[in-house]
Amino acid sequence: MALVGRSVPRADGRAKVAGTARYVDDLTRPGVLFGGTLRSPMARGRLHGIRRDPAFDWAGVTVVTAEDVPVNVVALIEEDQPVLASDEVRHAHEPIALVAAEDPVRLARALRALTPEIEPLPPVLTVADALARKAQIHGPDNVFATYRISKGDAAGAIASSPIRLKGRYRTPHQEQLYIEPQGMLAFWDAGGAHLVGSLQCPFYVHKGVKRTFSLDDDHVDVTQAVTGGGFGGKEEYPTLLALHALLLAKKSGRPVKMIYGRQEDIEATTKRHPCEVTIESGCDREGNLSAVSIRILMDGGAYVTLTPVVLSRAALHAAGAYRWEHAAIEAVAVATNTPPNGAFRGFGAPQTIWAIERHMDRIARELSADPLELREKNLLRVGDTTPTGQFLKESVGVQRCVEEARKASGWDKKRAALGAGAPARPVSALPRRTAPGGSAPRKARGIGASVFLHGAGFTGSGERRLKGCVAIDMLRGSSGKKPIFRIRTASTDIGQGTETVFRQIAAEALWVSMDRVEFATPSTSVVPDSGPTVASRTVMIVGSIVERAARDLFARTEHERQKRGGSFDDAALRLLAGKESVVSEKTYETPEDLVWDDEKYRGDAYPVFAWGCDIAEVEVDLDTFETTVLGFWSVADVGKAIHPLLCKGQIEGGTLQAIGWALNEKLVVKDGRILNARMANYIVPTSLDAPRFTTVLVEDPYSRGPGGGAKGIGELPMDGGAPAIAAAIEHATGIVRDDLPLLPEDLFAARRTAM
Amino acid sequence: MNPAELALYPFERPATLTELCRTLSARAGRKERTVLLAGGTDWIVERGLAPPEDPNDLPLVLDVSRLPELRGIQVARERAVIGAAATFLEIRSHPVLLRRAPVLTAMAREVGAIQIQARGTLGGNLATASPAADGAAALMALDAEVVLASVHGERRVSLTQFFTGYRATRRAEDEVIVRVEFLLPRTGAHQAWRKVGTRAAQAISKVALAAIAERERGRGVRAGFGMASVAPVTAPLPTVRALALAPSLASVSDEELDAATRRDIAPIDDVRSTAAYRAHVASALVKAFFRELREAPGL
Amino acid sequence: MRIAFVLNGRKRTLDAPPLARLLDLLRGPLGLTGTKEGCGEGECGSCTVLLDGVPVNACLVAAGQCDGRTVLTVEGLGVKDGLSDLQDAFVKEGGAQCGICTPGFLMAAHALLTANPQPGEGEIRESIAGNICRCTGYQRIVESIRHAVKERASRESG
Repeated sequence: MALVGRSVPRADGRAKVAGTARYVDDLTRPGVLFGGTLRSPMARGRLHGIRRDPAFDWAGVTVVTAEDVPVNVVALIEEDQPVLASDEVRHAHEPIALVAAEDPVRLARALRALTPEIEPLPPVLTVADALARKAQIHGPDNVFATYRISKGDAAGAIASSPIRLKGRYRTPHQEQLYIEPQGMLAFWDAGGAHLVGSLQCPFYVHKGVKRTFSLDDDHVDVTQAVTGGGFGGKEEYPTLLALHALLLAKKSGRPVKMIYGRQEDIEATTKRHPCEVTIESGCDREGNLSAVSIRILMDGGAYVTLTPVVLSRAALHAAGAYRWEHAAIEAVAVATNTPPNGAFRGFGAPQTIWAIERHMDRIARELSADPLELREKNLLRVGDTTPTGQFLKESVGVQRCVEEARKASGWDKKRAALGAGAPARPVSALPRRTAPGGSAPRKARGIGASVFLHGAGFTGSGERRLKGCVAIDMLRGSSGKKPIFRIRTASTDIGQGTETVFRQIAAEALWVSMDRVEFATPSTSVVPDSGPTVASRTVMIVGSIVERAARDLFARTEHERQKRGGSFDDAALRLLAGKESVVSEKTYETPEDLVWDDEKYRGDAYPVFAWGCDIAEVEVDLDTFETTVLGFWSVADVGKAIHPLLCKGQIEGGTLQAIGWALNEKLVVKDGRILNARMANYIVPTSLDAPRFTTVLVEDPYSRGPGGGAKGIGELPMDGGAPAIAAAIEHATGIVRDDLPLLPEDLFAARRTAM
Repeated sequence: MNPAELALYPFERPATLTELCRTLSARAGRKERTVLLAGGTDWIVERGLAPPEDPNDLPLVLDVSRLPELRGIQVARERAVIGAAATFLEIRSHPVLLRRAPVLTAMAREVGAIQIQARGTLGGNLATASPAADGAAALMALDAEVVLASVHGERRVSLTQFFTGYRATRRAEDEVIVRVEFLLPRTGAHQAWRKVGTRAAQAISKVALAAIAERERGRGVRAGFGMASVAPVTAPLPTVRALALAPSLASVSDEELDAATRRDIAPIDDVRSTAAYRAHVASALVKAFFRELREAPGL
Repeated sequence: MRIAFVLNGRKRTLDAPPLARLLDLLRGPLGLTGTKEGCGEGECGSCTVLLDGVPVNACLVAAGQCDGRTVLTVEGLGVKDGLSDLQDAFVKEGGAQCGICTPGFLMAAHALLTANPQPGEGEIRESIAGNICRCTGYQRIVESIRHAVKERASRESG
């Protein structure tokens, strides 16, 4: 059959190009009301009440405040976040009240007729103020979480190293900027609460609704609509939006649709955590690394959301793709009165990979070594152990990634020929960048690299606790002669291609064509809880459950065939006799040799890592400090590419998000408020900013991965882009930046130190 | 305000310029507010950001995008006449402008992207009077005149006089911009458009320079500049212009150009960029233009 | 105001507030939800439709300004027996991921190929620069359009 490894047309492609795919804003219900949110104008204050303009005609308008919320908590990791602020507001744009009305105009007016009465309190707006306890805003010390990882004696080894280097590396917020804003349609009936929305994790929403409305499992139904991108932004946030829509629907007795406008979406929803990482390392004069000490400080925003897990992943990736005999890592996340930060592709790792990769370039600079050679010399290999003591048994394809990237990009030649010291040469600029009749502008070219890893699946014992579940039904099919199969999973397709890849995996294991495998719309009353669509776990973890369930059905059918003859289909029909369906339900089995100690933060942090090497070639305009990415080479060890085209699409898309984080994106926050919550001024790359990508897939299979060894790769490409760009800019101009972003203004401000 | 509230505004489509001017005059006399709508790429966007207006006192929106008197691009006797409702797409596609006023073509090609170029108009760009307006910068370099019409007839205002302050112009309430006119630069005149925006396309200018210089036997005979986003209004860079008309370009030093640029601009920090960066880039673009001028053959 | 225009090849007349956005008209009374709203301010291009053959952002076009003109949306792109070659190329070449920006890209690309059947990569990239995609990094979209160009060229020469 050989479906796995083939780039079949994506299953949902037809509907998406025809414009018939239904996203939440394309859906409606009879009698639907439009819902909106009243938000806090300030970062912190005491909420005394909400004034209603008596001159406004409130007929037909539903208003919900904290008093209307049965259990006023959003059930995530902790229950510190209220569904609606009741006594205190803790961040700007925090929801205070909800309004539903017959049409968007009435809604807009009703929202304007409400005024929150808030007495300002001094806010904590920076990590430094949080640590200094300028005000107490969370627990006794404003700390959300702390992790420590230790291997050997880092301090001692650094002290006795011939080359000791220290650096501090900062990364800012990043907005997911999925093109479809958040949205939810809610209604109640005799069966309970119903939600259809743009979301990644139906069972997260399910859990939150059960908690807030004290409902049991069977009285909450959460269905995913076709979802226009998530990137983590629709991991935990939709729970809050679902609760809002349900509250309005309950009070009004009508279905309620809430669709965020772009500005509201950027202001109110979660962002990537800003982070500061301090690294001190020791190595010898030949560049053999020995010890590293890392301190990570993360800004969690006003509520816990997923911060502890993000922080944990940051810590677990902080030492990078390198062998360190000694490592000490400490990670701390604090509370501030800023909009809560949460999940975004990479989930803490891009922040610490940025730091370690810039630090590797610092070491190369100090030793006058080739940055790629320095990295190669210290790469983790099979048989090495990571800072948590994880012994790498298999599928460490990083060496091949570096080799392929070096070759494909022409690194050796370009590294020697380009760069700040290289002779000026005429360059062919993009046509749009050339002034009519202009002479050759002053430009410099450079090339830079990054090497990185990303652990797939939940951290440590996460998957063991989660017990992700998938069902496959064997059904008679419309012809009655050819049974069909239906995958039921809570893993959602948010654009990355879950549906297509799962159907490939199942069809291959069942030895049937793909059109005989269906994918059930993820709805909590239909699909089992496969766990959330996060953490690069969908293909590798949930895909492996799909594969097992499919193999089980195949084996049962094959057994029947061998027993009583006929074709596979005959045997299947015999099994189906008198039944609606034959079901195989499988639960994830954590490999027994994976050991993790949550207390000591030691052991196998992830079942396996995906690996990557990025190389960027840039041209910097020396007058304006604009950076153009001329070429970008991504080589990734994905274990096994089930669908090479989708796999490359993930890598290119993730890489451009990383390039955008480096070169374009900058969230402007003042007094805890976001000032550029528009697509006109939160700038992401266009097709003319994006480079032409060369993407190479390396396949060093993971023995437990589905389809012959697939590993999770959704987040990997977010990790390497920014440091590769920074290294290339450094090579081109001599400007060294340890902080993101690398906007022209930032390079201009930094130029004096270099040029 | 919510974009849905746009549906509440009263709207009319006058058939002729005369009808438009009469309506404008009558409404101005009654102190009633009127909005002239062409491509909507500013006004409609701004509705979404602006505080809501009193629903009982909304301005009348007059669609001027298809008025024949405001349409079209004509070139005759070395003069270019561009209708106020000409779109950036029409401008960038015009063959004579490409040959004789490539500064305008290049500018139009870098306004937003195709969707904005198809809707945005030159007249709208001038009337909105944003200091970041690319069209205003290019037209200023071309020494364009704005032609305004009202029931009293037409009057001409030099573009350098047109802007009176941040987003303010000499257009009176009862007037409409009908066209802009300028003398075409000679064939072989040196023209440059350089936009430093927030990204490679679909960008707003952090700094943009439009520049034109004609020289004859080493002497400057015509020079014009327009710079976007470095002052409350489009900056004509008069000191720099004087240097471009200097008898000998070789004697104009980079230091003089830096000083002149500094004199001619007043950049600020905002959400898009910083004053220091803008000042640096403004100088760099001016110096690059002079470098090109010195190197250009036959000038 | 009574607005008469040709929508996807069919004459349509309807009463609508003249300053209602074309986008709301399409998605609401006309029931064509293939045109998507991503930003509401002409920045993302998700609501791109063709007005008299030229790409525009439907969120910035007043309904009253469409009177007497032609509008083409993604629903009008397909051919009698299914997808157009361009739509098909987006499915085959990975041009659509989450899909919310896809109709807008298709409209911009359709306008390009109508005006210029043999565009180079630079022209392709410029023609879609008003459409933001956050999933693909654009490469698969550019490849999809190139694929359609090649198919057309080989059909014509063959």
